[in-house]
Amino acid sequence: MPGEKGIYMKQRLELKVNGQTYEVLVDPWQSLADVLREELGYTGVKVSCNSGNCGSCTVLLDGKAVKSCIMLAPLAKGKEILTIEGLATESNLHPLQEAFIEHFAVQCGYCTPGMILMAKALLDENPNATEDEIREGLVGNLCRCTGYVKIVEAIMAAKEKMKVTSSR
Amino acid sequence: METQYVGKRVPRVDALDKVTGQAMYSVDVELPGMLYGATLRSPLAHAKIVEIDTSAALTVPGVRAVVTGKEFPFTFGHMIKDQPFLSIHKVRYVGEPVAAVAAETEAAAQEAVEKIRVEYEELPAVFDPRKAALDGAPIIHEDLGKYDHGNVYELVPGTNISTVMKYSRGDVEVGFSEADEVFEDEFYIHPVAHTPMETHAAVVQYTPSGKMLTVWSSADAPCQRAKDLAKVLSLSFNQVRFISTYSGGGFGGKGAIVAEGIGVALAHFTKGRPVKVIYSRQEELTASQVRLEAYLKLKTGVKKDGTLTAREAEIIWDNGAYSSKGPEVARRGTLTIFGPYRTPHLTLLSRLVYTNKQPSGAYRGFGTTQVTWACEAQIDIIAGKLGIDPVEVRLRNFYADGDPYINEQIMHTAGLRETLEKASQEIGWGQKKPKTTGTKVRGKGIATTIKGTNTPTDSYCFIKVNVDGSVTVLTSSVEIGAGQKTVLAQIAADTIGVPLASIHIPNPDTCSTPFDFGVTSSRTTYHMGNAICLAGQKVRRQILETAGEILKTDPERLTLREGEIIDRDAENQMTLKELMAKKYGGKGGAIQGEGYFTPAGSSLIKAKPGIEWMSSIFWMWATHAAEVEVDTETGVVKVLKIAAAHDVGRAINPIGCEQQIEGSVIMGLSNTLFEEFKMEKGRIMNDTLADYKVATTLDLPEIVPIIVESHHSEGPFGAKGVGEPALAPTAPAIANAIYDAVGIRFKSLPITREKVLAAIRNRKP
Repeated sequence: MPGEKGIYMKQRLELKVNGQTYEVLVDPWQSLADVLREELGYTGVKVSCNSGNCGSCTVLLDGKAVKSCIMLAPLAKGKEILTIEGLATESNLHPLQEAFIEHFAVQCGYCTPGMILMAKALLDENPNATEDEIREGLVGNLCRCTGYVKIVEAIMAAKEKMKVTSSR
Repeated sequence: METQYVGKRVPRVDALDKVTGQAMYSVDVELPGMLYGATLRSPLAHAKIVEIDTSAALTVPGVRAVVTGKEFPFTFGHMIKDQPFLSIHKVRYVGEPVAAVAAETEAAAQEAVEKIRVEYEELPAVFDPRKAALDGAPIIHEDLGKYDHGNVYELVPGTNISTVMKYSRGDVEVGFSEADEVFEDEFYIHPVAHTPMETHAAVVQYTPSGKMLTVWSSADAPCQRAKDLAKVLSLSFNQVRFISTYSGGGFGGKGAIVAEGIGVALAHFTKGRPVKVIYSRQEELTASQVRLEAYLKLKTGVKKDGTLTAREAEIIWDNGAYSSKGPEVARRGTLTIFGPYRTPHLTLLSRLVYTNKQPSGAYRGFGTTQVTWACEAQIDIIAGKLGIDPVEVRLRNFYADGDPYINEQIMHTAGLRETLEKASQEIGWGQKKPKTTGTKVRGKGIATTIKGTNTPTDSYCFIKVNVDGSVTVLTSSVEIGAGQKTVLAQIAADTIGVPLASIHIPNPDTCSTPFDFGVTSSRTTYHMGNAICLAGQKVRRQILETAGEILKTDPERLTLREGEIIDRDAENQMTLKELMAKKYGGKGGAIQGEGYFTPAGSSLIKAKPGIEWMSSIFWMWATHAAEVEVDTETGVVKVLKIAAAHDVGRAINPIGCEQQIEGSVIMGLSNTLFEEFKMEKGRIMNDTLADYKVATTLDLPEIVPIIVESHHSEGPFGAKGVGEPALAPTAPAIANAIYDAVGIRFKSLPITREKVLAAIRNRKP
């Protein structure tokens, strides 16, 4: 709204998303989810509760899972941000993405990006996670469609593939 | 018929879009010049609007429109036209939209909303539908008698009774006189939130020049919503365009005009600029729609051997402040309250009552969940009192093949007994209970349900075989998450004889995709599946005829499989791609076919004249068996296992059916044990996902989905449906298992830990 009064000063912020560096102007109160979606077009980041209770907006910050709807964007400065759009390579899906397809872990798909990234963070930290540990790790990621059964199955299957991939 | 795809565990065609973040939902739609909407909502449950002052809101920088019911005085309603887009003269629930703002940014819209001043004159409110139905209750809709309702439903003007339905068959007095025992029980089922992960959202654009209203939304029945909006805004059907996006979950909640309504009101005042409206989670929980709560009285006469002789049901349903699909939910639900059991003598009385609460509407099961809760708990009570095994009582009374339904439709019940037998077998029914250790006691329970589909309803589709042999299937069936696109693509691939990968099913657009009744009532596989079969057979025939011309042979000698045209003697062979190139390669062209399916006229739905509408073209049967562990010290109910057997007719995609069953079981468990609105004076106090608890990964029991295939004679490849019935038997199966464990009968939902603990403590020693 150039020319209109009452505009707050925006901050210049450098963000590294999926390996690319962006310079964006953000309002000081803007959440990371909001900036990723609205300013940078990473709409794979899904917002559902906007209060940190459902995990749909999960992204990875230096490999750690964060709920981007309750994190102020400037706090992500200098960190490597990974969204679902950055998970696959040019030629290959990530084993978690493959497993979610193969094991029918997807229904409406709205929770899927957050689930996959949460699972990645869990398995990167604990490559030998048991089923119980995975269930515990996913407690903050809600899904209303699948009943979680096939999501847990997919992650267990991806776990084995990820071990093979990382040992290469 | 040999199939390449039908009956197989074919991966979902939408999965790649969804695991890569490319799937577009309504919240992701972005258009040039787009504005953002925000809504001022009523803080009161029932009040007159004295004055609205929007002057301060209009001065907020970036604000482009502020709209109230004065500027946009229209109402809508799919069944009863009783709901204003924005309040007109009065408000009827906490959360009702009173005014809306469109601005350049969400923040500006929100700021302007806070500057709107409304003066209310509070009116007495009523929240309990039983009280609202009484004489002297505050009247919520003074003009009920004047509302357009298509004369389908019986309204009771001058009261809060939105609709009433009465029905009887046989003579209950005779039936009760034949009974050895008469059981009278009252049940209650609470309202719950759909809680889709994607809240309601829409982008709406109105271009005044062409009088064209375009709505991007994930509504589950875009043609119905376009029809509704055209009617109330005096536009023609082709001036209202619904463009469907992927849906981030619906469960019935997206079967109404919700966020779309705010957008429509605003878009009329933004000079052609589109407006995006996204419901916050708080709005989703408090001001969208919920499952109808219900008070159910059941009176049942039984012989000593467990044979049912007569049944009476009286139900009061809570409509909330506006009708949405309440009238149809109430009557469809009421009709099946006597379950899948022969009932020679019966009476039904159903009243749907307005209250000053969030509107109620469709919720996975469409009334079946509410009535199954009462029916199946009472069957368990009867079995217990008579000392007959609950499985045995059910088997004794199940409809047999050829028995009449309550409207004399002939029932085809293949699959019904099998669901009960398989579920009970899987749970280890009748096996000795393990010894109780400490405070944890185990029990098992079982429940069966019957669910029909709204009949008759229509589906149309259009298939194009493109110049390169690829296939486009145009339908208005929305992918609401349940795998619609995959199942329809499988049916198309096998019917035409082409690879699944060659088929594309775009999202619906009511300007170009043909009419469909909607993704509702578990009807898509059956109805749209049949339409695709009809269209697919047409294009297949044309392909083979064209091939006959080109190959100079009798088309009868040719077949098409996986995109290959093969001669009976394998002399001639060509691919569909080659055929299309030969025929149309130069100037372009396509082979096309349409399909129109309606079950109207089928002999299967014949019934007593005048009440054929109670018939269903297919009946879905399901039985759930639950094993629970109740901690008598803490009241915690842990569901250990649920075996869920469903007669789906034919599983077009078995793993897709499993997805539906598993998802429903968890939703049912969550509805039953955790979810509950806490209300104060009509205000929902737990309006976040931190306080409105839904099941998580830690609440996951062992779920065993069991697919029973009874092969429907008129279904596509024998299929029926599975989306809704999987929710209904879960609650009574759990409650019956709790009874088996601790001898406490819960007749009121939810069964929270606090309630269990209180009941255990109050138990007579």
